[in-house]
Amino acid sequence: MLKDKEFWLVAGGLSLAFILYWLLGHPLLNEERIVMLLVIVIMSANLIYYTRFAKKGGEIFLREIPGLKAVEEAVGRSTEMGKSVLYVPGIMDMDQVETVAGVIILGHVSKMTSRYETSLNVPVSRSIVMKAARETVREAYTMEGRPDLFQDDMVHYLTDDQFAYAAGVNGIMVREKPAACLYMGKFFAESLILAETGNSIGAIQIAGTASQSQIPFFVTACDYTLIGEEFFAASAYLSQSPELMGGLKGQDMMKAGVTAAIILSLFMRVLFDLGLIKWNIISILTVQ
Amino acid sequence: MDKIFDFILRVGTIDRRWIFLIIGLAVLLPLFFPLGLPIRATIATQKVYDAVEALEENSKVLISFEYGPSTKPEIHPMAIGLLKHLFTNGHKVYVTCLWPDGQFMADDALEEVAEEEFNLTYGEDYVILGFRPGNEAVVKGMVSNIRKLYTTDARGTLVDDIPLMKNINKVADFDFIFSASAGYPGTIEWVQYASDPTGVPLSTGTTSIMVNDIMPMVNSGQVKGILAGMPGAAEYEALIGSPGIGTSGMDAQSIAHLVIVLFIVFGNITYFIEVQRSKKY
Amino acid sequence: MLWKRQIPILIATVVGLSTLFGWFIDHPTIESFVNDDATQWYDILASFAIFLGALNLMKLQGKKVLKQQSGWQYSLFAIGGFLFAIVAGFIYKGNDAVDWGVHVTSKGTLFKWMFEYIFTPLSATMFALLAFFVASASYRAFRVRNLEATLLLVSGIIIMVGRVPLGSSISSWFIMYLLVLIASITVNIKFKDKKITFGTLLSGVLIVTIWGSLLGWPPDQPGLFYLPVLQDWIYNNPNVAGARAIMIGIGLGIFATSIRYILGVEKSYIGE
Repeated sequence: MLKDKEFWLVAGGLSLAFILYWLLGHPLLNEERIVMLLVIVIMSANLIYYTRFAKKGGEIFLREIPGLKAVEEAVGRSTEMGKSVLYVPGIMDMDQVETVAGVIILGHVSKMTSRYETSLNVPVSRSIVMKAARETVREAYTMEGRPDLFQDDMVHYLTDDQFAYAAGVNGIMVREKPAACLYMGKFFAESLILAETGNSIGAIQIAGTASQSQIPFFVTACDYTLIGEEFFAASAYLSQSPELMGGLKGQDMMKAGVTAAIILSLFMRVLFDLGLIKWNIISILTVQ
Repeated sequence: MDKIFDFILRVGTIDRRWIFLIIGLAVLLPLFFPLGLPIRATIATQKVYDAVEALEENSKVLISFEYGPSTKPEIHPMAIGLLKHLFTNGHKVYVTCLWPDGQFMADDALEEVAEEEFNLTYGEDYVILGFRPGNEAVVKGMVSNIRKLYTTDARGTLVDDIPLMKNINKVADFDFIFSASAGYPGTIEWVQYASDPTGVPLSTGTTSIMVNDIMPMVNSGQVKGILAGMPGAAEYEALIGSPGIGTSGMDAQSIAHLVIVLFIVFGNITYFIEVQRSKKY
Repeated sequence: MLWKRQIPILIATVVGLSTLFGWFIDHPTIESFVNDDATQWYDILASFAIFLGALNLMKLQGKKVLKQQSGWQYSLFAIGGFLFAIVAGFIYKGNDAVDWGVHVTSKGTLFKWMFEYIFTPLSATMFALLAFFVASASYRAFRVRNLEATLLLVSGIIIMVGRVPLGSSISSWFIMYLLVLIASITVNIKFKDKKITFGTLLSGVLIVTIWGSLLGWPPDQPGLFYLPVLQDWIYNNPNVAGARAIMIGIGLGIFATSIRYILGVEKSYIGE
């Protein structure tokens, strides 16, 4: 991480460069999108500020997320029962943020399974996810000092097709009867099929997804569900890394900012509709 | 009374396979013995119908097929209904597919409607551009230059040789877009990268599960109405006066929903009895 | 270490920042990169990566068959299906009148036959399982445990019944009589007095009956008790409000997570 002096030098330099660029007529810049650019810069600055704040030892409060606390409990349960942990990182590819988040959580889960010597089964739906997940699991086992327990076939490819994948995972559940089923990633209609089958075999189920339409199915059928942002917070929560927790705080502050902006915009739009001001805030908030 | 409660509690712990059997019968029987329940169009479906009716004659309509065999029962009826509506009103149809399965669905739909029912000519009344891999990159590519993305259509004919493709170079050359979508990539990508930036009006038909994701866009006016699952398809069939598979499925869906509600009520009765007994003892 | 740490992070940072800030640049080459090339590079990589997945699948299934591990018979189907698809896609057309490529969707080809008579029924069957699972999940999960669960239950029932034609066939007056009955049961549980209960029931029935008679019993009035109208309102108001809130939260979460990847703060995806 850059020291304070270096950081402000770089930030100041970039700001000065942009100001110069603007004064020189800002060639090639799409002016219609300048508001969005400013918003991105402000939000990123907010994230960087809180990340640095946390890294320097600032205290960040993180509320308890029952679903994440239950992950270790689920792995422990599998160990006691002598059964495996089934981890499903979603059905989409690594170009989706949720899949990357799912693979990151897999790394934390792998550390637990290596620590407790529990077998781990990770059927995946995409080849690139298979490679990324395999590397993540291998690293986790190596870091825990148990590279001997890692096998390549822990992470294996089934199929790209949505329902064929669901059928394959269901088959694994019914034959191998894992004690814990973790669903972390992007899901579509197959979510209820997976969750209900997991329920029928008596497994403890923890799901996490930002797929809004699937959250109700997971809430209904799983023991714990990470809803939306809780899923993205999982990495910070499980690692307790200061940088990630700072990023989480920054995210919360962004949400507060967006809420304030919505209320302010609503107020200004009402004034515009009543004819009290001539300036329509929607025109600058509309992304071109 | 206690005996009745005991019986209810015993029934409440039945194997879920009995529930599956009852649901199976609830869906199957109305298909053989239709009830003919009346279908009432919702505002969302009416908006789609009105948007299509408002098109000038000979409008160029782009339809994107983004569903497969699994969601065919929900979305295929709406695609068929829409094609019937468009061809009846004399519009030209251009078909693209963001899903590989979508091309099979498009072929089936156009064979049934364009070839068998309306006896239209391929290349003059409708064209299937086909599937291209790339998800939202395909949508973005079509917005900038269709011919860079599609040099041939789905049948291998050069796009330059198809009469209907004359003066069609980008999405802005179309008058209307319809996305028949079951997931990703789908309606959201069409709104984000095509309809919003170009201003071409867009309507959509989706599975019932996806309606929640699209509803905010319908309410904000970005999407001109939505056909929500099989009920939406049935409502659209009722509006165009051509009942089909969507309509025939509604009796089964109605009874299935009613049975599920009865299960929920029954489940709560057993829950209350259990709670009362645990308080008592 | 350089190849496994710094270089991947550098690639993620450079490409991430290019695609992010490239959207603000009005230049055809950069626009083309942001809109087309960046996503297509990924698709090309993913397309070649399919070989890795396929080989892994065949290796695992083949090992199961050769060692006759538990469930090896299912693996025969997996291998057989894979090989059949390869043959249908690349080796045997089944209809010599069509070219390679378009044979995938043309009539009379083996691939089209496979899609129509094997893939389609199997896909439809898996999706159809949802109907059964929704029923069993609803039966198990929808309990009146607290206020929120009760609201969920009631709105779920209204939407389920109101969404289908059956809902529009149920008169609003029937719903009102049902509500009177539920109110009487609630009063009975609370006060345990037969007179109060009977009074509530009788007055409720009388009010509804007189009101209905005055209006002529229109099935869709009053709209507050007509299920399709109620369903529409729930869908378009509280449901969309909640959906929007979750969407905004998820959008911000995706933004923050993506920025962490681009700036190299989050490195776990390449191992720690």
